[in-house]
Amino acid sequence: MMAMQMGEQEGPRKVMDWQQTYYSSDSGIQSGATTVRSDDGMTEYSKKYTITTTVAQNPAEVESQFALTRAQRVRAAMFPETVMEGTAILSTQTDPAQMTNVQKLAEPSQMLKTAIVHLINYQDDAEMATRAVPELTKLLNDDDPVVVNKAAQIVNQLTRKEASRRALMQSPQMVAAVVRAMQNTGDMETARATASILHNLSHQREGLLAIFKSGGIPALVRMLSSPMDSVLFYAITTLHNLLLHQEGAKMAVRLADGLQRMVPLLKKSNPKFLAITTDCLQLLSYGNQESKLIILANGGPEGLVQIMRNYNYEKLLWTTSRVLKVLSVCPSNKPAIVDAGGMQALGKHLTGSSQRLMQNCLWTLRNLSDAATKQEGLDSLLQVLVGLLSSDDMHMLTCATGVLSNLTCNNARNKSLVTRGNGVEALIHAILRASEKEDVVEPAVCALRHLTSRHPDAEIAQNAVRDHYGIPAIIKLLGQPYYWPVIKAAVGLVRNLALCPANQAPLRDAGAIPRLVNLLLKAHQDAQKHGSSSQQTYQDGVRMEEIVEGCTGALHIMARDPVNRVDIASMDTIPLFVQLLYSPVDNVKRVAAGVLCELAVEKQCANAIESEGAAAPLMELLHSSNEGIATYAAAVLFRISEDKNADYRKRVSVELTHSLFKHDPAAWDMAHNTVQMEGGYADEGEPGFYGYPEGMPMHPIDPDMVDEYPMNMQYDGMPGQQYTEPY
Amino acid sequence: MNREEAPGKSPEEMYIQQKVRVLLMLKKMGSNLTPNEEAFLRNYAGVVHSQMSQLPQHPIDQGAEDVVMAFSRSETEDRRQ
Repeated sequence: MMAMQMGEQEGPRKVMDWQQTYYSSDSGIQSGATTVRSDDGMTEYSKKYTITTTVAQNPAEVESQFALTRAQRVRAAMFPETVMEGTAILSTQTDPAQMTNVQKLAEPSQMLKTAIVHLINYQDDAEMATRAVPELTKLLNDDDPVVVNKAAQIVNQLTRKEASRRALMQSPQMVAAVVRAMQNTGDMETARATASILHNLSHQREGLLAIFKSGGIPALVRMLSSPMDSVLFYAITTLHNLLLHQEGAKMAVRLADGLQRMVPLLKKSNPKFLAITTDCLQLLSYGNQESKLIILANGGPEGLVQIMRNYNYEKLLWTTSRVLKVLSVCPSNKPAIVDAGGMQALGKHLTGSSQRLMQNCLWTLRNLSDAATKQEGLDSLLQVLVGLLSSDDMHMLTCATGVLSNLTCNNARNKSLVTRGNGVEALIHAILRASEKEDVVEPAVCALRHLTSRHPDAEIAQNAVRDHYGIPAIIKLLGQPYYWPVIKAAVGLVRNLALCPANQAPLRDAGAIPRLVNLLLKAHQDAQKHGSSSQQTYQDGVRMEEIVEGCTGALHIMARDPVNRVDIASMDTIPLFVQLLYSPVDNVKRVAAGVLCELAVEKQCANAIESEGAAAPLMELLHSSNEGIATYAAAVLFRISEDKNADYRKRVSVELTHSLFKHDPAAWDMAHNTVQMEGGYADEGEPGFYGYPEGMPMHPIDPDMVDEYPMNMQYDGMPGQQYTEPY
Repeated sequence: MNREEAPGKSPEEMYIQQKVRVLLMLKKMGSNLTPNEEAFLRNYAGVVHSQMSQLPQHPIDQGAEDVVMAFSRSETEDRRQ
């Protein structure tokens, strides 16, 4: 201050005098010259004093410099703004490599000084705000909207600085007044200012609590309907902070119908706004089924899928994918997401650079996949998934194989696409790479099983497995340690592979037959141990009856090959197969009759089958409503009876005649679909295979008619009957 | 058993029809026939011809049905990044 009044001086001498006074010298310590320039503040100096001092020019000056004390140097170091521009401060530094103590202290001491200044200001702000709060509160509660508006503006300003903000949030009355003003105002500016206040308060825990306690949440939720974007932004951001950090906020937002207001906001077009909104939805719906249903009811799936389809902002895509992931475990949301094109939209983000986005999309796709088996337009997704099978990331493999397994389920088009897109090779390699991981192997084997049957390119897939050296890897899965879901899938795959004649020898060479027989024996024993079928045995979630059926079915198809046939019979399997004819499970009966039918091609096997007493259960099976069962049973009997006498053959014929083995296609279909049968008899004299009019109801056999012909080989046939055809 | 014979159908003819039918079904289901059985069908080509149109038209799928795997049993824990 003193310096400012000096004005123009006649010369260096007066300045130097001033310097001496200002710096209030202690006993001097000679100092070297260090020029300290001041850039900040104190512009008065720069205006009025332009004296430059250098050491060499004026001996008198140099002398005065050397008279500066340490205190002066310290002051100059701490308060450089007080140093006159151009003043040279001589330091005592003698060694350029070594700073003096003053030099070392210069920066820290300036920082300390700054902090103290801030504290002084803070204190000022805080005190001022504290004094103003009651008055401002009153003004916010005023009836005059203009007053409220002005008060809101002021409070908004105050919330921008930390000290005053603290004072405000410590007043529940103030916060309540803000909330009330925000809710009740019809003025846009007031709405904006009050929303901004709450937003500013929401960056501190104390502020969040104050908002929460003042009923801020319902008010903020209401503001989500505001036509002003700025209000929307403040409201959603404040709610977001509350949801993140304030206990009880989630419940309060739900109770205030927050979800119903947020979901429509998904139509907005600001990506950052959408990112916050979707994150709110995720926070509210995670683990909360009711919230998921509310989101569904308000069109959430469509809105979210649209975002995945139309935006590129990574953070938004990531937050949205997280909401979809949460919804994808909800059985009601799943089909809605799929119907809205969710599979295709998520599939767009599997090849980008964001790992976290890709992983979320994959998990979501996996969750959704069992509801998407009939979806169209998944060609490119399927291609990408096949590509992902070459990954070493186990999470990615788990998801890719899982989705592929489901999407190829009962979908001929998808099966063909994957087969033609080198899916078989990729799946085999995945199995080899992840052989210890059941979460990868099981779906991969299921996918191969789907690809190898029930579509026009099934044969291509069956051959491809062999061509890509898949057979040994699959047979290996039939060994120990037994993980039954994998075994069940692998057995089914072996069965399909055996449909291709070229695979029969490779399967045999890889040891399929002994493994299948051992599994069959083990599973059958386990199933027997637990008695009736009502007590089904589960291991790893798989019923042993399923393993019995699967193994027998695989052996059935393998038995089409003459060498395999002999191998199978040589393992003493015929007695077991005959036993399985008594199974209560139709599928087991069918595959047992099927394998016996194949084995019966060999004369020796036919004899063995007969010796095991198979004729009796087979005769029963002629009456089966299952066309497969009845056909195989009849075929085995025909093959057994090839070299039998005429009476035996007639017996078979008669049984067939009395069976429900109707040829009429409509009636056949009815039987196939197990329609309930009515009482009554078929017209007598009608042949067993044709002649029934359409719509003829199926009739059960009259038990009396069956008993008339005792089920034994000592049948006394009708004399005189001759069969002329050669056998 | 009192059973009227269908007009013109001797037990022998019925047997032939039944066997033809069974063999045709076997083929439809993908099984191979023995040489004797193939010869039998050749011998009774006429019966084969009339039986072919009587076979059920729907495919007789025998393998285990494709089954979806249900993955969405529970939410995976979500780490906020």
